[in-house]
This record gives sequence, structure tokens and C-alpha cells, in this order.
Amino acid sequence: MAVAEPQLAAPLAARRRSARLLPANAARWANWSIAGLLGVVTLVALLAPVLAPHDPLQPVGQPQLAPGQGGFLLGTDGIGRDVLSRVLYGLQASWFAALLVIVGGVIIGGIIGVVAGTFGGIVDNVLMRITDGFLALPAPVLAIAIVAALGPGFVHTLLAVSIVWWPFYARIVRGEVRALAARPHVEAARLAGAGTFRVALRHLAPGAVPATVVTASLDVGNLVLTLAALSFLGLGQPAPTPELGADAARNLSYLLQQWWIPTMPGLAVLVLAMVGNLAGDAIRNLMEDR
Amino acid sequence: MRHVSSGEEEAGAAPPHPDVSFSPARPGTVAEVENLAVTFRRGNRRIHAVRGVSLDIRPGEILGLVGESGSGKSVLGMSLLGLLPEDTLEHTSGRVAVAGKDMLHGSADLRRRVRKEHLGSVFQDPMTSLNPTMRVGRQVIEAAGSTEEAVRLLRAVGISDAERRMSSFPHELSGGLRQRVMIAMAVAGNPSLVIADEPTTALDVMVQSQVLTLLRSLVDEIGCSFLLITHDLGVAAQVADRIAVMYAGRLAESGPTDTVLRSAAHPYSLGLMRSRLSLTSPRTGTLSTLRGEVPSPVAPPPGCPFQPRCDLATDDCTQLLPDPVPVIPGHLSACVLPAEVVRARRPAPDAGEQDAGEQDAGGQDAPQADAADPESAVPAAADAPGAASAVWVRQIRRTFRVKAGRGRRKDLQALREIDLDVAAGESVAIVGESGSGKSTLLRVMAGLERADHGEVVLGGSTRPQMVFQDAGASLTPWMTVGALIDERLRGEGLSRAERQERVVAALAQVGLPAEVAQARSRQLSGGQRQRVALARATVIPPQVLLCDEPTSALDVSLAAGVLNLIGRLRRQLGMSVVFVTHDLSVARVVGDRIAVMYLGNIVELGPAERVVSQPAHPYTKALLSAVPEAGAAPMVLTGEPASPLAPPSGCAFHPRCPLADDACADSELRLRPVRLRTAHDRAVACLKPELI
Repeated sequence: MAVAEPQLAAPLAARRRSARLLPANAARWANWSIAGLLGVVTLVALLAPVLAPHDPLQPVGQPQLAPGQGGFLLGTDGIGRDVLSRVLYGLQASWFAALLVIVGGVIIGGIIGVVAGTFGGIVDNVLMRITDGFLALPAPVLAIAIVAALGPGFVHTLLAVSIVWWPFYARIVRGEVRALAARPHVEAARLAGAGTFRVALRHLAPGAVPATVVTASLDVGNLVLTLAALSFLGLGQPAPTPELGADAARNLSYLLQQWWIPTMPGLAVLVLAMVGNLAGDAIRNLMEDR
Repeated sequence: MRHVSSGEEEAGAAPPHPDVSFSPARPGTVAEVENLAVTFRRGNRRIHAVRGVSLDIRPGEILGLVGESGSGKSVLGMSLLGLLPEDTLEHTSGRVAVAGKDMLHGSADLRRRVRKEHLGSVFQDPMTSLNPTMRVGRQVIEAAGSTEEAVRLLRAVGISDAERRMSSFPHELSGGLRQRVMIAMAVAGNPSLVIADEPTTALDVMVQSQVLTLLRSLVDEIGCSFLLITHDLGVAAQVADRIAVMYAGRLAESGPTDTVLRSAAHPYSLGLMRSRLSLTSPRTGTLSTLRGEVPSPVAPPPGCPFQPRCDLATDDCTQLLPDPVPVIPGHLSACVLPAEVVRARRPAPDAGEQDAGEQDAGGQDAPQADAADPESAVPAAADAPGAASAVWVRQIRRTFRVKAGRGRRKDLQALREIDLDVAAGESVAIVGESGSGKSTLLRVMAGLERADHGEVVLGGSTRPQMVFQDAGASLTPWMTVGALIDERLRGEGLSRAERQERVVAALAQVGLPAEVAQARSRQLSGGQRQRVALARATVIPPQVLLCDEPTSALDVSLAAGVLNLIGRLRRQLGMSVVFVTHDLSVARVVGDRIAVMYLGNIVELGPAERVVSQPAHPYTKALLSAVPEAGAAPMVLTGEPASPLAPPSGCAFHPRCPLADDACADSELRLRPVRLRTAHDRAVACLKPELI
């Protein structure tokens, strides 16, 4: 027929995946490298047992050695444990705790958000008012209350933080899904015979992924800080286990004479929080570029 | 409709406004474009938007700049305004002068001064050009200088209650009024040239007609020139003195409107005119189309840009980039072939449509039989659906609760009571302005919207399928075309391989290669997307295909192809088609019958050709005369369509109707389409249809 068709194949092949996943210029390289820091930190956390020169729980040298002294890169703490090893193990605990909370928040919040956004109306209203209820309470206070009720302990802390964290994701996912649900492609899918479940899963939820990924990566830093703060307040890991916030808190009395003992775990928290925020920004830039 | 006024004698004279410093480099022009080439950078790609265009704009004329999307017409307008992005200037060559001032390389200050003193601009969407937080009065005063002048300008552009409108915010005005405000601001300060980029594209056909009439009368009264940039040859033909046709960044043809329309010398202009639908286009045979698509602006071919789509192309055409040369003085064409040869050549028969060649685009076979049978042709009188009814709409009413500001809610009566019977295999075109309820009716038929009252009876067991206006938005962006089409095949008990086969077959049926199945919607062009939407709708042929303005977002040459395709699919698959459009010339070609809607009612229903040639309802008549055609003086209705929030009593059309009397406004009056005594295949909702 006389209508457009002959030259279709060529431009398609050329356009397909044209330089999408590959960095095309310097800005993209920079963004990719910063986003890659998330992987580096995760790798360091995973390899903590390999990288740590000493047992984090046993005294291995003179107490209160300054960084560099006696072969201890970051010195030793009040009872002679290796600060570097404790920081590495603490980093592992904090990082994975943060990731766990985020994964939990994304799953719970995601499901609630998709359901609310897909159905709308009364379902949306009920779910979102519950979500608002959680959002209305200050998160750290609520977490403290929950931990206090459940009793201290790392698992309880994670549970508490997860409970206060999902509403953010529910809100974000619901907003994205709601906006998408008004688009013609959803009606077209319904006409094509897709049921509600399929519409939600294939035609709505994927659209909320970019916003969720960006929020989640920006959240890593916040979570590390929140978890460290809770540990600092004594609501985290019990005594001998290395944890960044707890280590900083317990050793605060050394700050003036042996500054490195509380400062090193504190610096590690700072680094994690910064990596999380920078990587979150980088991922947002990369998503916007698409 | 040219106003002969006191301004008429000024219109031809060179500087109409002695107070404005006017120093054209060449006498007899207000703006000159010489060998302009503009290249944009997108990442590491170069987009050759304009590639060597020369053009003069004379005082007091409307120059219609016509081209499809991507032809470079808007970029040309921007360069005349001196508004090209700074970073493109190094890739810009040639000369653009307005009032003798360099608009390409002049200082920002100089360009701004020229814009202030000599130029005005009107864009497609006045909502984005007007400041939504400021009352229109203040914005017009800003351009006009004083309140008195602002009121005078608003009156001049036909806003009757100008003082009151001054205190309105832009969102409180209708699209037509907003565009009038924009025009008032554009002509403030007596510019010598106004650049109007698609000023009527977003408007209803009736309002478009009013705005075009206004442009013409403004030119005749105040003597400024207009550059009317449009994709619609009909719009340019209606008001322009001269027409310039652009294609792929080049000037294809330019000359006086009559000359270009009557004896086009470039194969592209000819093709454009042939593929453009008018109220007199032949309804039998496939619509003529331009094959292929516009060449990529990233790597334009070295030869004539139209060569790949041209039936007359020779080997020379692939090498030589032809410049516009005079056919006769004042009429330029950029084709190596003599004008006589181009004109003599009849369009080649459409090779690919041969299989269906002996039949027509809209399909007239089935309808003739229906038209002869009044029982099925006039559903208003039918109590039961005809045996072969594909979809039967009975007394459908639909009202929406909408916010009316300050927490109040109002009822919007989208459908006030609709009866429509679509026979199996029949095609019905629903025509109306925005707000007529035509899309709501389609959505009720599709089951996407429930009716408050009445019922939709489907003849077959398959659900109706729908093709949307914005095909891109109707395809889920992250899913591949294959997955989207496959979705409809789920639950049919087919194996994966069988489904894949059906997907490829469905794509082939709409003229797309199998590779498209792997693509996502953003990788496709507008025409391809609409084809994918059609493939998805017809992979399991539905009893009824519902089309919601599927071609209104497409370029003319592509639209004709999609219409052909819908006609062919309908015949091959034996579907009924309900086609919603605002364009009567499209309706006439695709529909066996036309239903004209006004404010939630069908006001006229009958065989397409008859409705167009002998309209029985005054509204149909007005709608017909508003279709832009060359030289036709439109019968412009005063005012705008009444709001569906507060439909007038009695006949909803009576406030605008030239025939209305007191009986038409009677609140007891409930008009329904009734069969005419003189023509049994026609139903009209009017108290005095025979008067016409």
C-alpha cells in the first residue's frame, strides 16, 4: 500500500537501545561512578570479616593506642579492641540494617500504594488515612516507643524502624500509580482484556519504579543516621556487638583524651550517609536523563 | 469576509505607521529571510531544522507558511522573532532581517527592541503564553501601554464586553477568547509583522473560522502583515494572500494562494493537496496518500528531500538539491521537473491497496442497503434493534458532577439522551465540537464509562475495541508492542508460539514489520503508533471498532494512510466502525452515516453524502460552512457553544440559531431526532428542518 512502511525496519534498529545503558558523556560517567559507590560500600560491608585485621570482640592489644600505634591503623579502644575491625563490622551491621528496612518499606509501602492507587475511591481513602496516621507521628519517637514496648534488641529496632518507614513509600507509589491510572494506556489495557491484577502489576506498578528507586537510594543515608541515633540512645545492638552508633555513644567519655575511639565510628556513619545521599542524587540524574 | 474599511487604502502602501521607524532594506518588504540554515545540537547529534530558505514578507499581506511537523516552519518563525536559542547561533547561517535589522546576529538588546516595535506573536496554546496569575487586563495593558488602548484593542479583536473581560483571569476565558486576547496583545503598538504559529490548531472548527476571519479583517484594517504558520493547507488557503510550502527544512513552493492551489508545481504540494480531505474529496477508492515518511532531520538526503516519496523522481533527484526557481514570476517551485510534467502526472495507483482497490475507503456497499431500509437506518423510530445490529445505544444519559469553584458542584450534562443503532458492518461517524459529548458517547459504548440511564446492547459476544486519539499515550510505555498485542490473546487457549504468530500477523495486517514487536512506543513515530494501536484492537477482530479522533494528531499525509487502513480492516474483518471526529470532511469519507452532535444530543443523523450536501439542521449547516476551504466565505455563527453546565432551555442550539423563534426556547420542548417527511433516511432534531 501507499502508506508508510518500507523504511520502517532501518530506523528501528538504529534507535533501539541507542546508547541508553552506556554512559555517553562525562556527566553520565560521574553519575554512574557515584551511584557505583553504593556497590562499593555494600562490597566492603560484605567483606568485613575478610578485611578486618582482628576479632572485633576480643582485646588484641594495649588499650587506648592512638591511630597508627602498635600496627593498629585506627588505634585501639578503651579495653584494647581494634577500632578498625569494630568499624568494619559495625559498618556491616548498619548498612545491611538500612538496606533491610528499605526493602521492607518498599515492599509493604509498594503493595499498599499500588492497591490504593489502582482501586482509588474508598480503598484509597482508607489506606491513605492509615498511612497518614503513621506519618503524623514523628518517626524516631514512634520507633523509640515501639522498641520500648517490645524490649530493646536489634531485631526489635529494625521492626520498629520498618513500621515507621513504609508510609513514605506507600505515599510515593500511590501518587505515581494514581497519576498513571488516569492515562489512556490503562483504559486501553482494560479494553484489551487485562484484569485488575494484571493492570496493577504490568500497566501501573512499573511506572512507580523510577520514583521509588530514587527515594530509596536517597533514604539509605537517612536510615543509617536514624539507626545510629537509636543505637546511640541504647536501643540497638546489645553491648559487645560492634555497631557504629552504639560504639560512638558508649565511648563518648573518651572524646577529649582518646578522640579516635568515638570519632572513627562517627566518621563511618558520616561516610555512609553521604554515599547514600550522593548516590541517590546521581541515580535521580540518571533516571531523568532517560 | 474582507472588511472594506478606512484602513483599506493603507493596507497596500509601504509604511502604514509613520510613527514607527521603518526602514526596510528593500522597498516592499517588512521582513526578509535569505538562505537561512539552522542546525540544533541534541547531545552529539545535529538536527538540520532549516536548510537554506529564502522568503520575503510584504507589507499588509498574510503569508501562509504550510508544512508538516518537522518541516522547519516554526523554527523559521522563531528566527524571525530573533528567539533562536543562543547555542544554535554558531550553526546558523544566512540572513534574517525584520525592518532592516539583523535578527540572527544582532545584539540581544537590538532584537528585543525590534520585537517591541515591529513584531507581535501568537502561539498555538494561549494558556501557556498568558500569565495564569495575572488578570488579562493587566497583561494587555502591559503590551498596549494604557487602559484605554487595551480596551480599544480588545474591542478590535471582537471581544464585545471588553471592560468586564479585563478583570478575568486567563482560565476563566474560553479557548477562542484567550486566542483573541493573544491577538490583541500581538497587534498592540502597531507592529509591522505578526508571527502566528498555529493560532487556530487548538480551537474548534467554528471558533477557528471566527479567528481566521478576525485575522483577515485586522490585516485589512490596520495594515500589518501576518506570517501564518500552519500544518493545514485549508487554513492558509482561506485567508492567506501568498502561500509558502516547506518540506524537510526546505522551501518546496511559494506563490500567490490562488496560483499555488490551482496550479501547484511541486510534487509535494500536489501530494499534500491530494491527500488533504475536503468536502468534495471522492469517497470511492482509497484516499491518495504520500508513501514513506519525512526524512530524518539528522541525516537529510543529499538530493531533493522529497525524492524518496516522489513518484516522478529521477536519478538526478538523488544527487541535486533543487533550489526554488520561478515557474512564472512570483511563483517558485523547487523541483527539477517542469511544472507541466508534474501537473500532468496523475497519482500512481496504490500498489499495496490493490487487494481492496475496487472497494472504497469508507465502504459504501453495506450502507446503501441499510439506507434503503428505514427501520435500521433511523434508530430513533426503532423499538427493537435490527437483527444485524452491532451495537445499539438506547436512551443513554450521562451527567458528571464537576467542581464549579468555591466548593460548589455543578452537573455537566455530557449526554442528554442518545439513541443510535449501528448495523453490523456499518460505519457511523459522530461529528461535533468539543463539549458535544461525542467522546463520552464512545466511552459509554466501550464500557469505559457507565451511563446514568439507558443501555448499550452489543450484537456480538466480543467486546468493542477502541483506538484513541493519542496512540502514544494508549500504549503502556514500558511494555513492548509485542507484549501489548499479546495481552489480548491471553485466555484464548493459544500456545506461546501461536500467540507470537498472531502478533506478527496482526502487525503485518496494519503494514508493520515483525521487528516492531520488540519496540516500545517511544521508539515509534506517530503514524506507527496508531498502526500498533489498530493491530492491538484487531488481533482478535471485534464486532465494533471505536475510533476516537485517531487521525487528528497526525500529519495530513499520514492521516490519509490511517483512514485507508481503518477502511480496509473494516472490510476485511467485517467490523462495524464508530468514528468520532471534529472534522466533517473526515466524517464524510469514513462514515456511511454521519451523526452530528450538539451539547449531548444528536441533532442530525443520515447518510454521509446527503448530510454534507444537503444539511437539514441549522447547526450542521453552520458546521459545514466553517470547514476551511479556499475562497469560501464561512457563515460564522455568533458566540461560542453553550456550556454543557447550563444548557439552554428548549432546543440547546436556539441561542445561536439564525432560524430560532420563541417556540425553540420553550422549556417544555424536548427535541429528539425525528425522521424527515421528505427524506426517510434522515433524522433531525429541529422544529423547522424543512425550512432549509
